[in-house]
Amino acid sequence: MLEFIVPALQHLFTLENFLWINIGVFIGSVFAAIPGLSVILCVILFLPFTYRMTAIPGMMFLLGIYCAGGYGGSVSAILINTPGTPHAAATMMDGHPLSQKGRTKAALKIALYASTFGGVFSALMLLFLGPQVAQVAAQLGTAEYFMVCLFGLTIIAGVSGKSMIKGIIAACIGLLISCIGADPMTSYDRFTFGIPRLYLGLDLAICLIGLFALVEVLAKAEKKPGQLILDSKKMNDNGEITKDEFKRMIRPTVLSSIIGVLVGIIPGTGASEASWFSYDRAKAMSKHKEEFGHGSVEGIAAAESANNAVTGATLVPLLTMGIPGDGTVAIMLSALMINGLNPGLSLFTTQGDIMYAIMIGLVFVNLFMLLQGTFLTQLFAKVVSIPQEILTPVIVLFCFAGAYSVNKNYFDVGVALIFAVIAWMLRKLDMPPVPILLGMVLGNMTETNFRRALLISNGSPKIFVSSIYCIIFVVLTVLAVATLIRSKMKEAKGETKR
Amino acid sequence: MEGKQSWMDRLDKKRDEIGEKLAQKEVNLPIELITGILFLLIGIVVFAIMPSQVKVSDTDVVNGQAFPTLLMVVMMICSGIVLLKELYSIFVKKQPLTMKKINLLVEVKALEILAILILTYVICELTDLFVIGAVFCSLGFLVYFRCRKVSYYAITLTVAVLIWVAFRFGLGVNF
Repeated sequence: MLEFIVPALQHLFTLENFLWINIGVFIGSVFAAIPGLSVILCVILFLPFTYRMTAIPGMMFLLGIYCAGGYGGSVSAILINTPGTPHAAATMMDGHPLSQKGRTKAALKIALYASTFGGVFSALMLLFLGPQVAQVAAQLGTAEYFMVCLFGLTIIAGVSGKSMIKGIIAACIGLLISCIGADPMTSYDRFTFGIPRLYLGLDLAICLIGLFALVEVLAKAEKKPGQLILDSKKMNDNGEITKDEFKRMIRPTVLSSIIGVLVGIIPGTGASEASWFSYDRAKAMSKHKEEFGHGSVEGIAAAESANNAVTGATLVPLLTMGIPGDGTVAIMLSALMINGLNPGLSLFTTQGDIMYAIMIGLVFVNLFMLLQGTFLTQLFAKVVSIPQEILTPVIVLFCFAGAYSVNKNYFDVGVALIFAVIAWMLRKLDMPPVPILLGMVLGNMTETNFRRALLISNGSPKIFVSSIYCIIFVVLTVLAVATLIRSKMKEAKGETKR
Repeated sequence: MEGKQSWMDRLDKKRDEIGEKLAQKEVNLPIELITGILFLLIGIVVFAIMPSQVKVSDTDVVNGQAFPTLLMVVMMICSGIVLLKELYSIFVKKQPLTMKKINLLVEVKALEILAILILTYVICELTDLFVIGAVFCSLGFLVYFRCRKVSYYAITLTVAVLIWVAFRFGLGVNF
């Protein structure tokens, strides 16, 4: 590890990298602050910009968006009681009430400090855990890899929507889409319908533009016209946080950061789960339970530190096994692979200098987030009220230009439009889109390992329970399914009672 | 501007009239039933086209059809569960079907947006000049949102051209 630190620092400390970090942090904060625009949408829209960059600035830019998105969502949650991103919903519970008490700046500061702590903690965990997990991952064979993919897909199918069954169907659709194009093992074409452009398969970025970005534009039809107006008088407090409040923040911040890392490291889970779980834990452990929901400092700190603590942890399975921790980092995989960086142990050995530069860079991303948050929060707050008349066509044009720029043809723009219509219809059926994304990302790896394992065993499925790692993942998958079914049944019972 | 305003007023008035009628109309969709049947059918269709779409060699131990077949089996089982759950609650529990209300106004609005997107795509492809499609798209959405502020038109059109400039000259995307 130590032999990579010096070259990694040399790679990292360039003006170009720090510029891209700051641009990423700025864009991420602005996007996440605007209700209706998610971090995943932002990463999809700006992914084409990284195609011409080398690995480190490209990843720094995307990580800047990703991490700042964790904090940016809290701005609108605190100011206008509307979470900018889904994971900021837990922050809203106490952030907005504190703002209503005339302490808007203080609430924003608490969110910023907690986010930064969670983010830095998570980045350090990635730095120390990443190489260790990669060592273990190197011992995994094809059958084990298949089981890991299955585990990740099961979790994401379970947590993404109201129904686990629908999540599994969505994951199957994603995996089936990944089958389009040349067979990864024999190169025979599959499901191409005689269309030559389909021989290389559907590009992930193009499908995602339709599935996540253009469908949001169609969803404007569901929203009633009206502008979110920010009352500028709201931010007139001095933003002071008392010593007692600082003391009370420490325990939930540290504990939630640990929870965030643990949740983030599980493939398929994400910031929303971490922030709600941490919020509930902080409430259960607090001496001031009565303050929760009425502007609790601990509540804001817990939710914000947890959702940013996920950011580094989600990269652990991505960089070590190629299995994304959540939907947003799944997209970053393209940025890595386009630069010839294939996840696995080799990434930490042969390309260790680049990998360590990215991991150390993540610490700096969080520090720049703190810096920009301190000086630019007033500006982030103002973008909350950018009118959708201006925003919507801008998003569409980014989508079209992004889709076109991947292969330089309009066929891809058409594909993105078709995926938008499919996503719209799936939305009507309450089908979650994230399992489709994970299915598409993991499709090739899942299939290749499935078939190789069966080839090794001469077609015997016993190979999938033949090693201790396989058995561990089978048990984990079964446990996850049982837990998810139990929690869904509880939810359903709760809804019926209500 | 006077003429343009009255043209927009007339358009908005017509949209309001249609909107008022559609806002009251709601369609109840049995979504669980639809989901079960739809994905069961998709599974059957994929199975039917598999031999023609996925070529295999006789020498393959595990061929290219194995994985899609596994997926479709899983998907069809899940669809079957969704369907059976719904039928169980209708016939055994005597509960009504799981319905989802679909507002026709929302769907028509979504179609309007889709029309703007498709037209933008067609204009871009026909002219092979992204900036023309970009200008159309901006104007289309501003009209859709009933925008009357000249400043919004100016800002959006400027941003549209800037996006084209950024991709064309900054990223070297020739369109």
